[in-house]
Amino acid sequence: MDILSVSKGSGFAYEDAEVGSDEDVDILIDEDETRGDDVQLDGSVKTSVVTPGELVTDDPIWMRGHGTYFLGTNTYSSVAGTISRVNRLLSVKPIRGRYEPETGDHIVGRIAEVGQKRWKVDIGAKTHAILMLGSVNLPGGVLRRKSESDELQMRNFLKEGDLLNCEVQSLFQDGSASLHTRSLKYGKLRNGYFISVPSSLIVRAKNHSHSLPGGASVIIGVNGYIWLRKTTEDISQANNTSLSKNATAISAKGQYNVGSGSVSITRLEEESSWEIYSDVNDEISSTLRSTITRYANSIKALAFCEIGISVERIISAYEASMAYEDSGKLVDRETMETIGQQVINGEKYRGQ
Amino acid sequence: MSRFEIYSPEGLRVDGRRWNELRRFECRINTHPDSSDGSSYVEQGNSKVICIVNGPMEPSSKAEMSTSKATLKISLNVTPFSSIDRKKRSKNERRIQEIVTSLKRTFEQSIIVNKYPRTTISITLHVLALDGGLLSSITNAITLALIDAGIAMYDYISSVSAGFYNNTPLLDLNQLEESDVSFLTIGVVGKSEKLALLLLENKIPLDQLESVLAIAIAGGHRIRDLMDKEVRRHGDLRLSKLANK
Amino acid sequence: MAKGIEVSINEKSFVFDALKQGIRLDGRKLEDFRNVDITLGDEYGYVDVRLGKTRVVARISAEISTPFEDRPFEGLFTVSTEISPMASAMFENQRQSDDELLISRAIEKAVRRSGALDLESLCIIAGSKCWSIRADVHFLDYDGGFIDASCIAVMTGLQHFRKNDITVSGEQIVIHSVEEREPVELSVLHVPICVTFAFFNPEGVEENIKGESNNEIYIVDTTLEEDLLKDGVLTVAVNKNREVCQISKAGGLPMDALTLMDCGRKAYDIAVELTNQIKKLLEADYKRRNEGIQYKLRAENDRITVE
Repeated sequence: MDILSVSKGSGFAYEDAEVGSDEDVDILIDEDETRGDDVQLDGSVKTSVVTPGELVTDDPIWMRGHGTYFLGTNTYSSVAGTISRVNRLLSVKPIRGRYEPETGDHIVGRIAEVGQKRWKVDIGAKTHAILMLGSVNLPGGVLRRKSESDELQMRNFLKEGDLLNCEVQSLFQDGSASLHTRSLKYGKLRNGYFISVPSSLIVRAKNHSHSLPGGASVIIGVNGYIWLRKTTEDISQANNTSLSKNATAISAKGQYNVGSGSVSITRLEEESSWEIYSDVNDEISSTLRSTITRYANSIKALAFCEIGISVERIISAYEASMAYEDSGKLVDRETMETIGQQVINGEKYRGQ
Repeated sequence: MSRFEIYSPEGLRVDGRRWNELRRFECRINTHPDSSDGSSYVEQGNSKVICIVNGPMEPSSKAEMSTSKATLKISLNVTPFSSIDRKKRSKNERRIQEIVTSLKRTFEQSIIVNKYPRTTISITLHVLALDGGLLSSITNAITLALIDAGIAMYDYISSVSAGFYNNTPLLDLNQLEESDVSFLTIGVVGKSEKLALLLLENKIPLDQLESVLAIAIAGGHRIRDLMDKEVRRHGDLRLSKLANK
Repeated sequence: MAKGIEVSINEKSFVFDALKQGIRLDGRKLEDFRNVDITLGDEYGYVDVRLGKTRVVARISAEISTPFEDRPFEGLFTVSTEISPMASAMFENQRQSDDELLISRAIEKAVRRSGALDLESLCIIAGSKCWSIRADVHFLDYDGGFIDASCIAVMTGLQHFRKNDITVSGEQIVIHSVEEREPVELSVLHVPICVTFAFFNPEGVEENIKGESNNEIYIVDTTLEEDLLKDGVLTVAVNKNREVCQISKAGGLPMDALTLMDCGRKAYDIAVELTNQIKKLLEADYKRRNEGIQYKLRAENDRITVE
């Protein structure tokens, strides 16, 4: 034992010289000891980082949440992240990590597997989510019973690789999600472009589906999957929850009359038809395509700068990107940094 | 055998270090943010290792799925250009396989695997340059990449090698020393004196083992601190960026 | 460890509770090695080792071959360990599991890499002819402790083995038959003995990582059942010169460094005991073989001595 402790203090001069601003070991240990007190004293969430194995607190009053483990009265962190405190619940939020689904999240997913009465959906979480056949709208309205023939033709609705837009209905014991698309704003995605960003960057908002200037619209999935697409009538009316065959068929904007699409809720469900599972894209003009590309690259720039992504910021980044003629230039490192800076500056200027 | 002096009477080693000095240790985390959930790059002297962690994620086949815990998949690629004699090392080479198995068993204990049932954590390692300390540099790289991936772990596993030559323990050997000195590699759990990993392949007198272990553990603690510093540096950087949110 | 063999939670807690009280299922103490029963064959280099129910046979053979180009002054020594389903249904044919890999690597490291056999003495003509010694280890029955048993078997075999005498004249090599000239023994430099420890963690993982108690239990020479339940394993190869030839703790339960040192010392005591046992046995065998012509002419043979 004595040898073990003796050698600890000596040596490593080489390393000290090399790294220069090296903290001493003792300082780190001191931090460990004081950290627990910090939590209790000010009660606020600490902003500095804890790392795995670090003592968070030795006060037994706390309930231990995610990202922690405990022995006796001591609570230790199991991830590198920040301490979060909700009432008596102490947890450590990892800095990085996969998306953790929560009930009610509006997300974008991709079908990974078609199984018995269910689809497995890749939502960027630890495990695939499950979408039950009973949790989707099928042609013919909500009240329709799901028959065996529906089971057999599940691939006609959604097949491997299809993208969809859905909501987390509930969570299973092991943290995996069960999804549903039982609303007309959910369903298969088409007419657009898929981008994936870290889920931690998504700013949770009331609404995750927005129309953008320039004839595009966006679904910002809470799981970091983003879908950019052409704005069609049904999307622009999404808040009205209207979906009529006529409206979808007529793609030109002006021809749509307010009110003609708003149908009674029962009628509307009958209206939901095979159209919602269509595999054919609408006609998209090349200017709209380049607009979508520009939006996509603006989002990539935001993600590159690790700026939280919200619809306001996407628009702001899009506007900033207008300074560059060629939207292909946007993926340059310097350009992305400039755009990120402009978005931040713009917000400061407006006093947000 | 000794074309050079492993340990001079003045107490200097081939590369000018003293007996208890580590090589330059540099590490970065989150080096491949787009292609992986967690990534790291470790330089231990002239050894350079990249580690990529993906997961926890849906297992690619049902066979490798466990209903109670996460399964670990490790693939180790020692590049042909990593050492002086350019030689293709097969992944099936028994020595490589043994290292992979050891690492798997080490990290199965260190990761809180029962938090991630029905998932796979896949770890891919690329050794870009090898100048001794293969096992220790990849162990450190895995620890960092796992932390970067936000995977729950009980504590750091830091690893370092130590040898014994002419009645002197030597810390953190390079390739030249490894070929002439018998050495052991350890994996220390956090700041404790618990060893997750201990491998010795050559002869060391039993009575000297304790002093070699002692210096190795102290070196491991030192490396843990350096890794911890990098994790905090990166964490603070992240937080300052997220403050913009 | 094995596919197909599962131990129930009740069995597990039974074994654990017993261990906590310092008792093992077969009545041994925690630090007791099972009795090693070594039988030498009539032929040189045939060894049958029984360790409890575990049974391992090692067969040493020699032939003349060409040395490696980069090592012209050294002979060849290979240890072949192939575990077949004969030993236990848990081992699969063709496919090597992680455990089998660790077993064969441990034997190889302990015996071959530690330089137990003097390879330079196997050189006949530098660069062109040398002896190639081969140790084939066959696993006949499995009840834990494969590494320990096969290490004993190989080391005893190497000491027991006699290779044919040869005379070299220029490039010509004459191999003399056993009748013609007394065969010569191999030059074995030291006798490493492997001792395997298994670790059990009676408390939670948190206690193991952060606790101060160091309550982890270690036991020597596991049986199959203990082997299936263990949390970690340590193999130490040590010779009676107090030299540690190999330590392998490939992951598993983290253990305190001082406990590991204790294991090393325990291993040494066991190694000394086993080395002496092997030595005595070999001496007895040597004596028996050198009783002279009477030995060959006598009427009795080993088979009659069945009780």
